[in-house]
Amino acid sequence: MARVDGVADGDRRVAVDGVTKVFGVEDDDPVRALDGVSFTVEAGEFVCIVGPSGCGKTTLFRIIAGLEGATDGEVRLDGDPVTGPAMDRGMVFQEYGLFPWRTVIENVAFGLEQQDTTAEERRSRSQEMIDLVGLDGFESAYPNELSGGMKQRVGIARALAVDPAMLLMDEPFGSVDAQTRNMLHDELLDIWAETEKTVLFVTHDVEEAVKLADRVVVLSSGPGTVADVVDVDLDRPRSRTDAAFGEYQERILGLIHES
Amino acid sequence: MSVETAADGEPETAATGVRSSLAERLDRRSILLGLAGSLAFLAVWQVGAMAIGRTYLLPSPVAVATAFAGELAKSETVTLPLVGELTGSKLVVKLFQSLVHYVPGLLIGTVLGVALGVAMAWNRTLDDLFTPVTRVLRPIPPLAWIAFAIVWIGIGHGGAIFIVAIGAFWINFYNAYSGVEGVPQSQREVAASLGVHSDWGMIRKVVLPSASPEILTGVRTSIGQCWMIVVAAELFGAPGVGYQIINASQNLDTAVSVVYMFVISLVFLTSDALFRRVEGRVLAWRE
Repeated sequence: MARVDGVADGDRRVAVDGVTKVFGVEDDDPVRALDGVSFTVEAGEFVCIVGPSGCGKTTLFRIIAGLEGATDGEVRLDGDPVTGPAMDRGMVFQEYGLFPWRTVIENVAFGLEQQDTTAEERRSRSQEMIDLVGLDGFESAYPNELSGGMKQRVGIARALAVDPAMLLMDEPFGSVDAQTRNMLHDELLDIWAETEKTVLFVTHDVEEAVKLADRVVVLSSGPGTVADVVDVDLDRPRSRTDAAFGEYQERILGLIHES
Repeated sequence: MSVETAADGEPETAATGVRSSLAERLDRRSILLGLAGSLAFLAVWQVGAMAIGRTYLLPSPVAVATAFAGELAKSETVTLPLVGELTGSKLVVKLFQSLVHYVPGLLIGTVLGVALGVAMAWNRTLDDLFTPVTRVLRPIPPLAWIAFAIVWIGIGHGGAIFIVAIGAFWINFYNAYSGVEGVPQSQREVAASLGVHSDWGMIRKVVLPSASPEILTGVRTSIGQCWMIVVAAELFGAPGVGYQIINASQNLDTAVSVVYMFVISLVFLTSDALFRRVEGRVLAWRE
Protein backbone atom coordinates (compact mmCIF):
# COMPACT_ATOMS: atom_id res chain seq x y z
CA MET A 1 0.00 0.00 0.00
CA ALA A 2 1.43 3.32 -1.00
CA ARG A 3 1.68 5.94 1.69
CA VAL A 4 0.80 9.53 1.04
CA ASP A 5 2.47 12.38 2.87
CA GLY A 6 0.23 14.46 5.05
CA VAL A 7 -2.24 11.73 5.98
CA ALA A 8 -3.66 11.70 9.51
CA ASP A 9 -1.37 10.68 12.36
CA GLY A 10 -3.43 7.56 12.97
CA ASP A 11 -1.76 6.09 9.92
CA ARG A 12 1.68 6.34 11.47
CA ARG A 13 2.82 4.44 14.51
CA VAL A 14 5.05 7.02 16.17
CA ALA A 15 5.01 10.76 15.61
CA VAL A 16 7.66 12.82 17.35
CA ASP A 17 6.35 16.33 16.93
CA GLY A 18 8.38 19.40 17.77
CA VAL A 19 9.86 17.86 20.91
CA THR A 20 11.89 20.37 22.91
CA LYS A 21 13.50 19.67 26.25
CA VAL A 22 15.01 22.30 28.50
CA PHE A 23 16.61 21.24 31.75
CA GLY A 24 16.57 23.62 34.68
CA VAL A 25 13.85 25.88 33.27
CA GLU A 26 13.59 27.62 36.60
CA ASP A 27 17.35 28.07 37.03
CA ASP A 28 19.39 31.04 35.84
CA ASP A 29 21.24 28.80 33.44
CA PRO A 30 18.77 26.50 31.66
CA VAL A 31 20.20 23.88 29.29
CA ARG A 32 18.40 23.25 26.01
CA ALA A 33 18.93 19.54 25.30
CA LEU A 34 16.49 19.09 22.43
CA ASP A 35 15.09 21.73 20.15
CA GLY A 36 12.03 21.03 17.98
CA VAL A 37 12.79 17.43 17.09
CA SER A 38 10.28 15.98 14.63
CA PHE A 39 10.17 12.70 12.72
CA THR A 40 7.83 9.77 12.26
CA VAL A 41 8.30 6.03 12.45
CA GLU A 42 6.01 3.78 10.42
CA ALA A 43 4.57 0.57 11.81
CA GLY A 44 7.03 -2.28 11.39
CA GLU A 45 9.92 0.02 10.55
CA PHE A 46 13.43 -0.25 12.00
CA VAL A 47 14.64 3.25 12.78
CA CYS A 48 17.95 4.19 14.39
CA ILE A 49 18.65 7.48 16.12
CA VAL A 50 22.34 8.40 15.94
CA GLY A 51 24.23 11.38 17.16
CA PRO A 52 27.35 12.39 19.06
CA SER A 53 27.37 12.07 22.83
CA GLY A 54 25.56 14.96 24.43
CA CYS A 55 23.15 15.38 21.51
CA GLY A 56 20.21 14.48 23.72
CA LYS A 57 19.44 11.12 22.13
CA THR A 58 18.97 9.41 25.49
CA THR A 59 16.71 12.28 26.58
CA LEU A 60 14.73 11.77 23.37
CA PHE A 61 14.53 8.03 24.09
CA ARG A 62 13.23 8.75 27.59
CA ILE A 63 10.60 11.16 26.29
CA ILE A 64 9.36 8.64 23.71
CA ALA A 65 9.33 5.96 26.42
CA GLY A 66 7.27 8.26 28.62
CA LEU A 67 9.89 8.30 31.37
CA GLU A 68 10.27 12.06 31.04
CA GLY A 69 8.02 14.80 29.79
CA ALA A 70 8.88 17.20 26.98
CA THR A 71 9.15 20.92 27.72
CA ASP A 72 7.36 21.55 24.45
CA GLY A 73 5.92 19.39 21.66
CA GLU A 74 4.70 15.83 22.08
CA VAL A 75 5.11 12.22 21.07
CA ARG A 76 2.06 10.47 19.67
CA LEU A 77 1.49 6.77 19.31
CA ASP A 78 -1.26 6.00 16.82
CA GLY A 79 -2.45 9.54 17.36
CA ASP A 80 -2.58 9.34 21.16
CA PRO A 81 -0.12 11.49 23.11
CA VAL A 82 2.38 9.56 25.25
CA THR A 83 1.87 10.41 28.93
CA GLY A 84 3.90 7.73 30.69
CA PRO A 85 5.57 4.35 30.31
CA ALA A 86 3.18 1.62 29.16
CA MET A 87 3.18 -1.89 27.81
CA ASP A 88 2.82 -0.79 24.19
CA ARG A 89 6.49 0.25 24.23
CA GLY A 90 8.91 -2.45 25.39
CA MET A 91 12.14 -0.97 26.73
CA VAL A 92 15.63 -2.40 26.45
CA PHE A 93 18.46 -0.62 28.27
CA GLN A 94 22.23 -0.71 27.85
CA GLU A 95 22.59 -1.84 31.47
CA TYR A 96 19.85 -4.48 31.01
CA GLY A 97 17.76 -3.54 34.06
CA LEU A 98 17.18 -7.23 34.75
CA PHE A 99 15.74 -8.34 38.08
CA PRO A 100 18.68 -10.26 39.58
CA TRP A 101 16.50 -12.08 42.13
CA ARG A 102 14.45 -13.65 39.35
CA THR A 103 15.52 -16.49 37.09
CA VAL A 104 15.59 -16.00 33.32
CA ILE A 105 12.07 -17.32 32.85
CA GLU A 106 10.76 -15.33 35.82
CA ASN A 107 12.29 -12.16 34.37
CA VAL A 108 10.62 -12.82 31.03
CA ALA A 109 7.28 -13.52 32.76
CA PHE A 110 7.36 -10.28 34.79
CA GLY A 111 5.14 -8.22 32.48
CA LEU A 112 2.70 -11.10 32.01
CA GLU A 113 2.24 -11.27 35.80
CA GLN A 114 0.88 -7.73 35.74
CA GLN A 115 -1.78 -8.84 33.30
CA ASP A 116 -4.68 -11.19 33.75
CA THR A 117 -2.87 -14.40 32.84
CA THR A 118 -2.77 -17.94 34.20
CA ALA A 119 0.46 -19.57 35.33
CA GLU A 120 0.32 -21.89 32.34
CA GLU A 121 -0.14 -19.02 29.88
CA ARG A 122 2.83 -17.23 31.45
CA ARG A 123 5.00 -20.31 31.30
CA SER A 124 4.27 -21.13 27.68
CA ARG A 125 4.51 -17.53 26.47
CA SER A 126 7.78 -16.98 28.35
CA GLN A 127 9.21 -20.21 26.99
CA GLU A 128 8.27 -19.10 23.50
CA MET A 129 10.18 -15.83 23.98
CA ILE A 130 13.18 -17.62 25.50
CA ASP A 131 13.30 -19.89 22.48
CA LEU A 132 12.98 -16.88 20.18
CA VAL A 133 16.10 -15.25 21.63
CA GLY A 134 17.97 -18.55 21.75
CA LEU A 135 18.23 -18.97 25.51
CA ASP A 136 16.56 -22.37 25.84
CA GLY A 137 18.37 -24.36 28.51
CA PHE A 138 18.97 -21.24 30.62
CA GLU A 139 15.42 -20.85 31.95
CA SER A 140 16.40 -21.41 35.59
CA ALA A 141 19.66 -19.46 35.51
CA TYR A 142 19.95 -16.21 37.47
CA PRO A 143 21.15 -13.08 35.61
CA ASN A 144 24.44 -13.10 37.55
CA GLU A 145 25.30 -16.40 35.92
CA LEU A 146 24.93 -15.00 32.39
CA SER A 147 27.28 -13.15 30.05
CA GLY A 148 26.44 -9.64 28.86
CA GLY A 149 25.08 -10.86 25.53
CA MET A 150 22.86 -13.40 27.22
CA LYS A 151 21.60 -10.80 29.70
CA GLN A 152 20.54 -8.56 26.85
CA ARG A 153 18.74 -11.48 25.19
CA VAL A 154 16.76 -11.82 28.43
CA GLY A 155 16.04 -8.09 28.30
CA ILE A 156 14.71 -8.40 24.74
CA ALA A 157 12.63 -11.49 25.55
CA ARG A 158 11.17 -9.75 28.61
CA ALA A 159 10.20 -6.69 26.57
CA LEU A 160 8.63 -8.80 23.82
CA ALA A 161 6.68 -11.09 26.15
CA VAL A 162 3.81 -8.62 26.62
CA ASP A 163 3.57 -8.18 22.84
CA PRO A 164 4.27 -4.43 22.64
CA ALA A 165 3.66 -2.50 19.43
CA MET A 166 7.29 -1.42 19.43
CA LEU A 167 10.70 -2.01 20.93
CA LEU A 168 12.56 0.99 22.30
CA MET A 169 16.26 0.26 22.65
CA ASP A 170 18.83 2.60 24.21
CA GLU A 171 22.38 1.57 23.21
CA PRO A 172 21.35 -2.02 23.94
CA PHE A 173 24.62 -3.57 22.81
CA GLY A 174 26.93 -0.91 24.22
CA SER A 175 28.18 -3.18 27.01
CA VAL A 176 29.07 -6.29 25.01
CA ASP A 177 32.20 -7.14 23.04
CA ALA A 178 32.36 -6.54 19.29
CA GLN A 179 31.98 -10.19 18.30
CA THR A 180 28.90 -10.69 20.46
CA ARG A 181 27.49 -7.41 19.20
CA ASN A 182 27.67 -8.61 15.59
CA MET A 183 25.89 -11.80 16.52
CA LEU A 184 23.22 -9.88 18.43
CA HIS A 185 22.68 -7.59 15.41
CA ASP A 186 21.83 -10.58 13.24
CA GLU A 187 19.62 -12.06 15.90
CA LEU A 188 17.78 -8.79 16.44
CA LEU A 189 17.12 -8.50 12.69
CA ASP A 190 15.79 -12.08 12.69
CA ILE A 191 13.53 -11.31 15.65
CA TRP A 192 12.37 -8.11 13.99
CA ALA A 193 11.53 -9.98 10.78
CA GLU A 194 9.72 -12.70 12.70
CA THR A 195 7.70 -10.49 15.07
CA GLU A 196 7.15 -7.53 12.68
CA LYS A 197 7.59 -5.08 15.57
CA THR A 198 8.46 -1.44 15.12
CA VAL A 199 11.98 -0.88 16.45
CA LEU A 200 13.41 2.44 17.58
CA PHE A 201 17.09 1.99 18.32
CA VAL A 202 19.33 4.65 19.86
CA THR A 203 23.07 4.40 19.26
CA HIS A 204 26.20 6.55 18.93
CA ASP A 205 27.67 3.98 16.53
CA VAL A 206 27.07 4.98 12.88
CA GLU A 207 28.15 1.59 11.58
CA GLU A 208 25.62 -0.13 13.82
CA ALA A 209 22.90 2.21 12.56
CA VAL A 210 23.70 1.58 8.89
CA LYS A 211 23.82 -2.16 9.48
CA LEU A 212 20.40 -2.29 11.15
CA ALA A 213 18.11 0.54 10.13
CA ASP A 214 15.58 1.17 7.39
CA ARG A 215 16.02 4.84 8.19
CA VAL A 216 18.53 6.72 10.31
CA VAL A 217 17.53 9.86 12.19
CA VAL A 218 20.74 11.88 12.52
CA LEU A 219 20.81 14.26 15.47
CA SER A 220 23.23 17.14 15.79
CA SER A 221 24.23 18.46 19.17
CA GLY A 222 24.00 21.63 21.18
CA PRO A 223 20.95 21.64 21.29
CA GLY A 224 19.82 18.37 19.70
CA THR A 225 18.04 18.89 16.40
CA VAL A 226 17.37 16.57 13.47
CA ALA A 227 20.22 17.14 11.00
CA ASP A 228 18.65 14.79 8.46
CA VAL A 229 16.80 11.52 8.08
CA VAL A 230 18.69 9.07 5.88
CA ASP A 231 16.94 6.17 4.11
CA VAL A 232 19.27 3.19 4.05
CA ASP A 233 18.42 1.45 0.80
CA LEU A 234 20.55 -1.68 1.13
CA ASP A 235 19.52 -5.34 0.99
CA ARG A 236 19.90 -7.36 4.15
CA PRO A 237 22.11 -9.01 5.28
CA ARG A 238 24.33 -5.98 4.90
CA SER A 239 28.09 -6.21 4.64
CA ARG A 240 30.38 -3.59 6.11
CA THR A 241 32.87 -4.19 3.30
CA ASP A 242 30.27 -3.25 0.71
CA ALA A 243 31.06 0.06 -1.03
CA ALA A 244 27.50 1.39 -0.65
CA PHE A 245 27.60 0.58 3.08
CA GLY A 246 30.70 2.75 3.41
CA GLU A 247 29.08 5.58 1.49
CA TYR A 248 26.10 5.66 3.87
CA GLN A 249 28.50 5.69 6.79
CA GLU A 250 30.49 8.59 5.30
CA ARG A 251 27.33 10.52 4.59
CA ILE A 252 25.98 10.16 8.12
CA LEU A 253 29.35 10.94 9.71
CA GLY A 254 29.48 14.03 7.47
CA LEU A 255 26.07 15.15 8.70
CA ILE A 256 27.17 14.77 12.31
CA HIS A 257 30.43 16.69 11.80
CA GLU A 258 28.82 19.47 9.80
CA SER A 259 26.57 20.44 12.62
CA MET B 1 21.19 -19.19 16.90
CA SER B 2 24.29 -19.84 18.90
CA VAL B 3 24.80 -18.92 22.50
CA GLU B 4 28.14 -17.99 24.02
CA THR B 5 28.54 -19.61 27.39
CA ALA B 6 28.95 -17.57 30.54
CA ALA B 7 31.41 -19.91 32.19
CA ASP B 8 32.75 -22.96 30.40
CA GLY B 9 32.05 -26.03 32.49
CA GLU B 10 34.88 -28.49 31.83
CA PRO B 11 38.13 -26.67 32.69
CA GLU B 12 36.41 -25.02 35.63
CA THR B 13 35.70 -28.40 37.25
CA ALA B 14 39.32 -29.50 36.95
CA ALA B 15 40.53 -26.24 38.46
CA THR B 16 38.01 -26.50 41.29
CA GLY B 17 39.36 -29.96 42.11
CA VAL B 18 42.86 -28.59 42.68
CA ARG B 19 41.56 -25.58 44.56
CA SER B 20 39.41 -27.59 46.98
CA SER B 21 42.29 -29.84 48.05
CA LEU B 22 44.43 -26.75 48.58
CA ALA B 23 41.60 -25.22 50.57
CA GLU B 24 41.40 -28.39 52.62
CA ARG B 25 45.06 -28.20 53.51
CA LEU B 26 44.73 -24.54 54.43
CA ASP B 27 41.67 -25.42 56.48
CA ARG B 28 43.50 -28.05 58.48
CA ARG B 29 46.34 -25.62 59.10
CA SER B 30 44.02 -22.88 60.36
CA ILE B 31 42.08 -25.31 62.53
CA LEU B 32 45.30 -26.49 64.17
CA LEU B 33 46.53 -22.94 64.68
CA GLY B 34 43.15 -21.87 66.06
CA LEU B 35 43.21 -24.77 68.50
CA ALA B 36 46.77 -23.93 69.57
CA GLY B 37 45.88 -20.27 70.11
CA SER B 38 42.81 -21.16 72.18
CA LEU B 39 44.80 -23.56 74.37
CA ALA B 40 47.50 -20.93 74.85
CA PHE B 41 44.82 -18.42 75.87
CA LEU B 42 43.35 -20.88 78.40
CA ALA B 43 46.81 -21.68 79.74
CA VAL B 44 47.74 -18.02 80.23
CA TRP B 45 44.34 -17.42 81.84
CA GLN B 46 44.76 -20.40 84.20
CA VAL B 47 48.32 -19.45 85.15
CA GLY B 48 47.31 -15.83 85.65
CA ALA B 49 44.35 -16.81 87.83
CA MET B 50 46.58 -19.09 89.93
CA ALA B 51 49.18 -16.32 90.30
CA ILE B 52 46.55 -13.82 91.46
CA GLY B 53 45.10 -16.46 93.73
CA ARG B 54 41.74 -14.79 94.40
CA THR B 55 38.81 -16.24 92.46
CA TYR B 56 36.71 -13.08 92.75
CA LEU B 57 39.42 -11.03 91.03
CA LEU B 58 40.00 -13.50 88.22
CA PRO B 59 38.27 -16.88 88.25
CA SER B 60 40.28 -19.60 86.54
CA PRO B 61 38.90 -21.53 83.56
CA VAL B 62 38.48 -24.51 85.87
CA ALA B 63 36.49 -22.40 88.33
CA VAL B 64 34.31 -21.13 85.48
CA ALA B 65 33.69 -24.67 84.22
CA THR B 66 32.70 -25.72 87.74
CA ALA B 67 30.37 -22.73 88.05
CA PHE B 68 28.88 -23.59 84.67
CA ALA B 69 28.04 -27.10 85.84
CA GLY B 70 26.60 -25.62 89.03
CA GLU B 71 24.33 -23.15 87.21
CA LEU B 72 23.20 -25.90 84.87
CA ALA B 73 22.35 -28.21 87.76
CA LYS B 74 20.40 -25.67 89.83
CA SER B 75 16.67 -25.69 89.26
CA GLU B 76 14.55 -22.55 89.19
CA THR B 77 10.96 -21.62 88.50
CA VAL B 78 9.95 -18.26 87.01
CA THR B 79 6.81 -16.79 85.52
CA LEU B 80 7.39 -15.15 82.18
CA PRO B 81 5.08 -12.91 80.20
CA LEU B 82 3.76 -14.65 77.06
CA VAL B 83 5.41 -17.96 78.00
CA GLY B 84 3.90 -18.57 81.46
CA GLU B 85 5.49 -20.55 84.26
CA LEU B 86 8.80 -22.15 83.43
CA THR B 87 10.79 -24.62 85.54
CA GLY B 88 14.21 -25.88 84.58
CA SER B 89 17.92 -25.48 84.88
CA LYS B 90 18.75 -22.01 86.21
CA LEU B 91 20.98 -21.28 83.25
CA VAL B 92 18.27 -22.16 80.73
CA VAL B 93 15.60 -20.28 82.69
CA LYS B 94 17.75 -17.11 82.77
CA LEU B 95 18.33 -17.43 79.07
CA PHE B 96 14.58 -17.66 78.49
CA GLN B 97 14.06 -14.55 80.61
CA SER B 98 16.44 -12.71 78.30
CA LEU B 99 14.77 -14.16 75.20
CA VAL B 100 11.49 -12.70 76.41
CA HIS B 101 13.15 -9.28 76.06
CA TYR B 102 15.23 -10.05 73.05
CA VAL B 103 12.75 -11.65 70.65
CA PRO B 104 9.82 -9.19 70.94
CA GLY B 105 12.20 -6.20 71.05
CA LEU B 106 14.03 -7.41 67.97
CA LEU B 107 10.80 -8.14 66.07
CA ILE B 108 9.11 -4.84 66.91
CA GLY B 109 12.22 -2.77 66.17
CA THR B 110 12.95 -4.62 62.93
CA VAL B 111 9.43 -4.35 61.53
CA LEU B 112 9.08 -0.66 62.40
CA GLY B 113 12.63 0.17 61.28
CA VAL B 114 12.29 -1.55 57.90
CA ALA B 115 8.84 -0.04 57.36
CA LEU B 116 9.94 3.52 58.08
CA GLY B 117 13.24 3.10 56.22
CA VAL B 118 11.45 1.87 53.08
CA ALA B 119 8.72 4.51 53.35
CA MET B 120 11.15 7.42 53.75
CA ALA B 121 13.51 6.27 51.01
CA TRP B 122 10.53 5.78 48.69
CA ASN B 123 8.50 8.90 49.40
CA ARG B 124 10.16 12.28 48.97
CA THR B 125 7.67 14.10 51.19
CA LEU B 126 8.10 11.67 54.09
CA ASP B 127 11.84 11.87 53.61
CA ASP B 128 11.90 15.67 53.77
CA LEU B 129 9.51 15.65 56.73
CA PHE B 130 11.40 13.24 58.95
CA THR B 131 15.06 13.42 57.92
CA PRO B 132 15.93 16.17 60.46
CA VAL B 133 14.21 14.28 63.28
CA THR B 134 15.88 10.96 62.44
CA ARG B 135 19.27 12.67 62.11
CA VAL B 136 19.01 14.08 65.62
CA LEU B 137 17.53 11.02 67.33
CA ARG B 138 19.71 8.38 65.73
CA PRO B 139 23.04 9.10 67.50
CA ILE B 140 21.39 8.66 70.91
CA PRO B 141 22.52 5.26 72.24
CA PRO B 142 19.54 2.93 72.84
CA LEU B 143 20.51 2.64 76.50
CA ALA B 144 20.08 6.36 77.04
CA TRP B 145 16.35 5.77 76.56
CA ILE B 146 16.42 3.92 79.88
CA ALA B 147 15.15 7.14 81.44
CA PHE B 148 11.88 6.84 79.55
CA ALA B 149 11.78 3.08 79.89
CA ILE B 150 11.77 3.59 83.66
CA VAL B 151 9.16 6.35 83.86
CA TRP B 152 6.89 4.96 81.16
CA ILE B 153 7.04 1.23 81.65
CA GLY B 154 9.24 0.51 84.65
CA ILE B 155 12.45 -1.43 84.51
CA GLY B 156 10.93 -4.90 84.13
CA HIS B 157 10.42 -6.96 81.03
CA GLY B 158 8.63 -4.13 79.22
CA GLY B 159 11.46 -1.65 79.77
CA ALA B 160 14.05 -4.09 78.44
CA ILE B 161 11.91 -4.85 75.37
CA PHE B 162 11.61 -1.11 74.72
CA ILE B 163 15.39 -0.58 74.82
CA VAL B 164 16.07 -3.56 72.55
CA ALA B 165 13.40 -2.38 70.09
CA ILE B 166 15.05 1.04 69.83
CA GLY B 167 18.39 -0.57 69.10
CA ALA B 168 16.93 -2.83 66.40
CA PHE B 169 14.90 0.05 64.96
CA TRP B 170 17.84 2.29 64.00
CA ILE B 171 19.97 -0.47 62.56
CA ASN B 172 17.12 -1.68 60.36
CA PHE B 173 15.95 1.80 59.50
CA TYR B 174 19.30 2.82 58.01
CA ASN B 175 19.92 -0.42 56.18
CA ALA B 176 16.44 -0.46 54.64
CA TYR B 177 16.77 3.21 53.71
CA SER B 178 20.07 2.82 51.90
CA GLY B 179 18.90 -0.45 50.32
CA VAL B 180 15.88 1.25 48.79
CA GLU B 181 17.94 4.26 47.73
CA GLY B 182 20.25 1.88 45.87
CA VAL B 183 17.55 0.22 43.75
CA PRO B 184 18.68 0.83 40.16
CA GLN B 185 16.50 3.30 38.28
CA SER B 186 16.43 0.98 35.25
CA GLN B 187 14.70 -1.75 37.27
CA ARG B 188 11.92 0.62 38.28
CA GLU B 189 11.59 2.00 34.75
CA VAL B 190 11.41 -1.44 33.17
CA ALA B 191 8.76 -2.46 35.72
CA ALA B 192 6.75 0.66 34.90
CA SER B 193 6.93 -0.13 31.19
CA LEU B 194 5.73 -3.67 31.97
CA GLY B 195 2.58 -2.57 33.74
CA VAL B 196 3.53 -1.83 37.37
CA HIS B 197 1.88 1.50 38.04
CA SER B 198 0.98 1.66 41.76
CA ASP B 199 3.47 2.58 44.50
CA TRP B 200 2.60 -0.52 46.47
CA GLY B 201 3.04 -2.72 43.41
CA MET B 202 6.46 -1.20 42.74
CA ILE B 203 7.53 -1.61 46.38
CA ARG B 204 6.38 -5.21 46.56
CA LYS B 205 7.54 -6.43 43.15
CA VAL B 206 10.75 -4.43 42.66
CA VAL B 207 11.92 -2.34 45.60
CA LEU B 208 11.75 -4.92 48.41
CA PRO B 209 13.35 -7.80 46.50
CA SER B 210 15.97 -5.49 45.03
CA ALA B 211 16.83 -4.06 48.45
CA SER B 212 16.61 -7.42 50.22
CA PRO B 213 20.40 -7.94 50.54
CA GLU B 214 20.77 -4.66 52.48
CA ILE B 215 17.61 -5.24 54.49
CA LEU B 216 18.78 -8.71 55.51
CA THR B 217 22.20 -7.34 56.44
CA GLY B 218 20.39 -4.94 58.76
CA VAL B 219 18.42 -7.79 60.31
CA ARG B 220 21.59 -9.81 60.84
CA THR B 221 23.44 -6.86 62.37
CA SER B 222 20.56 -6.21 64.74
CA ILE B 223 20.40 -9.89 65.72
CA GLY B 224 23.96 -9.47 67.02
CA GLN B 225 23.69 -5.95 68.39
CA CYS B 226 20.48 -6.71 70.26
CA TRP B 227 22.26 -9.34 72.36
CA MET B 228 24.64 -6.60 73.48
CA ILE B 229 21.74 -4.26 74.15
CA VAL B 230 19.62 -6.80 76.04
CA VAL B 231 22.49 -7.52 78.44
CA ALA B 232 23.09 -3.83 79.00
CA ALA B 233 19.37 -3.20 79.60
CA GLU B 234 19.22 -6.04 82.13
CA LEU B 235 22.17 -4.62 84.03
CA PHE B 236 19.68 -2.01 85.20
CA GLY B 237 17.62 -4.70 86.87
CA ALA B 238 15.40 -6.53 84.41
CA PRO B 239 15.73 -10.25 85.14
CA GLY B 240 17.78 -12.31 82.70
CA VAL B 241 21.33 -13.18 81.70
CA GLY B 242 22.55 -9.59 81.97
CA TYR B 243 21.16 -9.25 85.47
CA GLN B 244 22.90 -12.50 86.46
CA ILE B 245 26.24 -11.04 85.37
CA ILE B 246 25.92 -7.95 87.55
CA ASN B 247 24.22 -9.81 90.43
CA ALA B 248 26.89 -12.51 90.66
CA SER B 249 29.69 -9.93 90.57
CA GLN B 250 28.04 -7.96 93.38
CA ASN B 251 28.16 -11.20 95.41
CA LEU B 252 31.84 -11.51 94.40
CA ASP B 253 30.85 -14.71 92.59
CA THR B 254 32.77 -13.66 89.47
CA ALA B 255 32.99 -17.20 88.10
CA VAL B 256 29.20 -17.17 87.66
CA SER B 257 29.44 -13.78 85.90
CA VAL B 258 31.89 -15.29 83.44
CA VAL B 259 29.53 -18.24 82.87
CA TYR B 260 26.76 -15.88 81.77
CA MET B 261 29.18 -13.82 79.69
CA PHE B 262 29.95 -16.98 77.75
CA VAL B 263 26.24 -17.80 77.51
CA ILE B 264 25.76 -14.52 75.65
CA SER B 265 28.63 -15.34 73.33
CA LEU B 266 27.19 -18.79 72.60
CA VAL B 267 23.67 -17.63 71.84
CA PHE B 268 25.06 -14.83 69.66
CA LEU B 269 27.18 -17.26 67.66
CA THR B 270 24.26 -19.68 67.32
CA SER B 271 21.70 -17.11 66.22
CA ASP B 272 24.16 -15.48 63.81
CA ALA B 273 25.03 -18.83 62.23
CA LEU B 274 21.35 -19.74 61.89
CA PHE B 275 20.50 -16.42 60.26
CA ARG B 276 23.45 -16.64 57.88
CA ARG B 277 22.01 -19.92 56.62
CA VAL B 278 18.59 -18.35 56.11
CA GLU B 279 20.21 -15.38 54.37
CA GLY B 280 22.28 -17.65 52.15
CA ARG B 281 19.17 -19.45 51.04
CA VAL B 282 17.07 -16.31 50.43
CA LEU B 283 19.88 -14.58 48.53
CA ALA B 284 20.99 -17.61 46.49
CA TRP B 285 20.55 -15.48 43.35
CA ARG B 286 23.54 -13.34 44.28
CA GLU B 287 26.14 -16.07 43.71
